[in-house]
Amino acid sequence: MLKNGNKDFITKVFGVSRRDTPIYAIFEKVIYIVVIGGVLIFTLWPIVAVLLKSIFNNGSLDFSSYKQLFTQNRELLLNSLFVAVLTTFFALVLGLSIALYVTHSNLKGKKIVFAILLLTMISPPFVSSLSYIMLFGRRGLIIYKLLGLKLNPYGWHGIVLMQSISHASLAALLIIGVLRGIDKSIEASSLDLGASSFKTLMKVTIPMAKPGIIAAALIVFVKSLSDFGTPIIIGGGFSVLATEAYLNVIGLYNLSKASAMSTLLLLPALIVFFVYRRVMSKSQFFTSKTVQSGDSSLKLPGWLKIILASITWSFLIFEILKYSTIFWGAFAKTWGVNYSFSLIHVKNLNYVKLESFLRSLKYSFIAGFVGSIIGLFLSYILERKKIPGSRVLDFVATLPFMIPGTFFGIGYILAFHNKPLALTGTAFIVVVNCIYRQLPLGTKTGAAVLSQLNPDIESSAKDLGASEFHVFKDIVLPSLKPAFLLSFINTFTSTMTTIGAIIFLISPGSKVATVEMFDAIKNGDIGIGAVFANLIIISVLIINISFAWFILKKKNSTFFVGRGKTNVSAIETIN
Amino acid sequence: MYLQLKQLTKNFGSNNVVHNLNLDVNQGELVCILGPSGCGKTTTLKMIGGFLSPSSGSIILESIDITSYPPNQRPTATVFQSYALFPHMNVIKNVVYGLKFKGISKKEALYQGEKMLEMVGLEQYRNQEIAQLSGGEQQRVALARALVMNPKVLLLDEPLSNLDAKLRIKMRKEIKDLQTYLDITMLYVTHDQEEALSISDRIVVMNNGEIAQIGPAKEIYQYPQNHFVADFIGRVNIVKKQNGEERFVRPEHVNIIENSGDARGKIIQKQFMGSFTTYFLNINETIIQADILSRDDKEWQLGEEVSVSFFESAL
Repeated sequence: MLKNGNKDFITKVFGVSRRDTPIYAIFEKVIYIVVIGGVLIFTLWPIVAVLLKSIFNNGSLDFSSYKQLFTQNRELLLNSLFVAVLTTFFALVLGLSIALYVTHSNLKGKKIVFAILLLTMISPPFVSSLSYIMLFGRRGLIIYKLLGLKLNPYGWHGIVLMQSISHASLAALLIIGVLRGIDKSIEASSLDLGASSFKTLMKVTIPMAKPGIIAAALIVFVKSLSDFGTPIIIGGGFSVLATEAYLNVIGLYNLSKASAMSTLLLLPALIVFFVYRRVMSKSQFFTSKTVQSGDSSLKLPGWLKIILASITWSFLIFEILKYSTIFWGAFAKTWGVNYSFSLIHVKNLNYVKLESFLRSLKYSFIAGFVGSIIGLFLSYILERKKIPGSRVLDFVATLPFMIPGTFFGIGYILAFHNKPLALTGTAFIVVVNCIYRQLPLGTKTGAAVLSQLNPDIESSAKDLGASEFHVFKDIVLPSLKPAFLLSFINTFTSTMTTIGAIIFLISPGSKVATVEMFDAIKNGDIGIGAVFANLIIISVLIINISFAWFILKKKNSTFFVGRGKTNVSAIETIN
Repeated sequence: MYLQLKQLTKNFGSNNVVHNLNLDVNQGELVCILGPSGCGKTTTLKMIGGFLSPSSGSIILESIDITSYPPNQRPTATVFQSYALFPHMNVIKNVVYGLKFKGISKKEALYQGEKMLEMVGLEQYRNQEIAQLSGGEQQRVALARALVMNPKVLLLDEPLSNLDAKLRIKMRKEIKDLQTYLDITMLYVTHDQEEALSISDRIVVMNNGEIAQIGPAKEIYQYPQNHFVADFIGRVNIVKKQNGEERFVRPEHVNIIENSGDARGKIIQKQFMGSFTTYFLNINETIIQADILSRDDKEWQLGEEVSVSFFESAL
């Protein structure tokens, strides 16, 4: 006769189930509700709110906002596309040139190139615009002071130039990531079969880097479309859709129109997002086979090397010029008139302004900490617990990765204006906005680490008698520690330098550093703008370097695995 | 019967991976499950370990139906192909990890863990990090971690496949020694026939989710019941008898002589294998392999016309 095994027997013999307390079950449920509920309320609901606002007016369906867009505001739409297409083209040319040069030459100063590329990735927005005004503006150092010209630098060409340079770093880093992942022996075998090095580059290397190039193009395109700040600062009379959406909220408080405009910007972003996911999932972007990866030994033809080198070095020199200008600007008495050393701008940093900076730090720490925890829990639920609808959940949580910041900001105004979620104007909602906007960073980092963690390890813990709770506590959490640190740095950095979404949520009395900087530049107060730019860059740099040092010192092998997989995806979202 | 698998079946969607598998294992027996990749051997092991639940059928251990027990409540322990050691714990922490769930005190757990490390010859590695160990040492830690749980059945999933050839032979001997010493019941999944032949009390040959043959190593090798087993285990010549019946003849059961034998043919290739030489003969357009011990004085030449004789026992 079979004794159908009952729990009592098992408990007595193996002493297991008494550790499987109901507390874990409750704990797990609470985590699920908090994490999934949070995504639904703070990511999905604001997006839905914008879509609804754009088509409902006083409770009835009304498409007049859209009609207006395609009639009166046609020009804005065309301007946006015009700038985005040109920016994408130039940023790609720059980025590809730099990437090829870095990976295909025995360049001595590779570390410097990387340092500068990464510096541009952790800089607040508008540093390019700020330096552009300082160098090429009406009273700019180069145009006016050195060349004595009186040119009007404002217009679409300035926007395209600055956006191209700003986004070239991102494009370069993405393409370098793909190029380094290519098996070197493939290039070698092309050469071996008799192809010239140029032919190999055109027929083997670049086609294999296509996923990276496409991804870079798509991301730059969307970033250009959703950039409202650069056109405000250096557009002169030239305006684009994103700028008008911003002005419609800040100046005119016409939320229906702003919603319709942002929705229009959302469409290309969504298309790009879908294409991006397809391209990335199809490519060998994330294969981790032991290939001979790294920098190529392919010798480029001399003429090409000269072209790539001059592009790369011009870019680097411009970047160095840019940062020196910003640094100098903080200590020059009156930029454009009197360049003598002065601490007047630093002294002008009164209590209110300093508080904005501290507020930025505080928000970034909270967002980094809480956002990383939520993101890691979410990645665990998505990766390991096969819950129904997890694909949809993943999609929704990843949306803020791609949607324009203005859209997300307007969404928060609309979603959290009325009871029971009347939260606008509070610091809480600003932080929450940062957390959910940067959540994809934590989720992606966690997913990358978890996908590296052999599921057998969790199985074997279970096999040895561990309950679900112990598997999570003893095995999963320790493995996620490096992911947490990485996610924290990334979220902290992004929050310190973000402006797109939170600019709508900040009340005048509680600005953050990026908003102060933006307002100062808008008002022509270059000194204060430069001081803030420096404050942000230096503080972000200190945090990044000290964390990198802290992590490198620990030499945690899992960290490197996680880092290799995530640095590309992490870089993508920094904005 | 100690461990019984009854009508065990596993489907992944419409894909029938394990089909109506029946197997009885005696206490203290070492049973190898042998088969090509995709034959369902690992799936079977995972069902016994509790990592997959069967579509139908039952698993009975000491008269208790454990089919629905989660892995942490089963008295089985698994050694994974990838070892699945906890990368953030050192050797001893890995080994004693499971003991705390048995309610064993920390001191007692450490004592047992150290004893087990001694048994696998790793006592001096007690405080090493996992990443510092070689593949063979990691394998021993995984073994110690599973054995210290004193499982009723030890499940091993291709435990040696990540080691190099020489180490594999050394480790399989050690596993066999441990098994004999501890008198533990083992189910050992492998695709390596030599491994299975050398250490198992009985072999279960699987093909396409079903058992192709069960029996002691020698029986399986000498008396394959079907074409698949004959072909999968060792090398085999298929000889058609006059009445049309097929017989399986192992190459070492073929002898080469100058005249008068069972058939005549020409030597078309020969491979020196060290202790023996394999001759390939073309006999009526069928290729017959013959393993001739190297210590034989006579060496046959390529192209030579010779006779072959089959040992009586082979036919």
